Amino acid sequence: MAHDSHDSHEYIPEIAVDRNGKEHVVQGWQGDFEGAKLGFWLFMLTEVLMFGAMFMTLSYYFTLHHAEFIKASSELDRVLGGVNTVVLLISALTMGLGLLKMRSGDVKGAKLMIWATILLALIFLGVKALEWSNDYKEGIFLGLSTMQAGGGKSFGELLFFGMYFTMTGLHGFHIIIGIGLMLWLLKRINSGKVSPEHHILHFNIALYWDLVHLIWVFVFPYFYMTGAGGAIHG
Amino acid sequence: MANHTTVDYNAEKGSYYKVLFGLLALTALTFIQPSMFLTDMTFGVQLLIGAVKAWIILMYYMHLKGETLIGWTVVFAVFITAFFFGIVMIDVNNFQFADVSHITSPAQ
Repeated sequence: MAHDSHDSHEYIPEIAVDRNGKEHVVQGWQGDFEGAKLGFWLFMLTEVLMFGAMFMTLSYYFTLHHAEFIKASSELDRVLGGVNTVVLLISALTMGLGLLKMRSGDVKGAKLMIWATILLALIFLGVKALEWSNDYKEGIFLGLSTMQAGGGKSFGELLFFGMYFTMTGLHGFHIIIGIGLMLWLLKRINSGKVSPEHHILHFNIALYWDLVHLIWVFVFPYFYMTGAGGAIHG
Repeated sequence: MANHTTVDYNAEKGSYYKVLFGLLALTALTFIQPSMFLTDMTFGVQLLIGAVKAWIILMYYMHLKGETLIGWTVVFAVFITAFFFGIVMIDVNNFQFADVSHITSPAQ
């Protein structure tokens, strides 16, 4: 979309005059790249603390119910989990390349890369939906009678699957939020509010996507690989 | 602050692909480790590989390389998490409430 100098979304700096009559540009959030980046990092650290607490809980249960956790982990579909790992990995690349294109002035290329990332995010959700539906057919899903006390699964297995659905569900929710953020980013690029000169929003959403990837880097081995190889010592 | 637009896409995209191949190699290692080596330490080795992947993502994809202030903020947050992680592990090793607990098996 073309933007001329009369575009209503053009960034116009505010000017403040000090007591000596000297003019200063008031730093808006679009121009405060470092401040916006630091602020977003602080938000992301709260996410790290939230997921960190969940990983702590998981480790706590794992220590108490070692063999049962390994048995439950071996029941998960490592192939689908692995496919999602690779999908998310490639999506982190497309997001990074999109930001690089934006910074180099290639807005159209940046938008294409964001669309590619959205597509990969949808594939991730599709694979996750397939995996959960397979789990459901095998009697592994929250609320099923097989997942209640006395339903055939040990206490440790119930804890494992409870944490599995909680954490992968919360991670999936972050993926959905990420798709929403990317669509919003595309809208702001189209309206000229995000541009090669003012791309902090793009930068921060790329950071968010990397965080979503980073969380999966630990979710995957914790749930899917712990029971791989039949090792009982973990 | 600079507007961060002075970037040569063709010159910098190579590093993104190098990181991708590095992460793919580590992912492949994640898959083969349980049946190939250190099979009695799967959990620890898997988390170690995950930590290496996380470090690469933080440094290169999340641009933490050279970021002193944000870098130390991340270290602080991870330290807080690791600190309480340690306390929890000590607590687990001295667990005394199995009879009344909701996180241990009723049979314990």
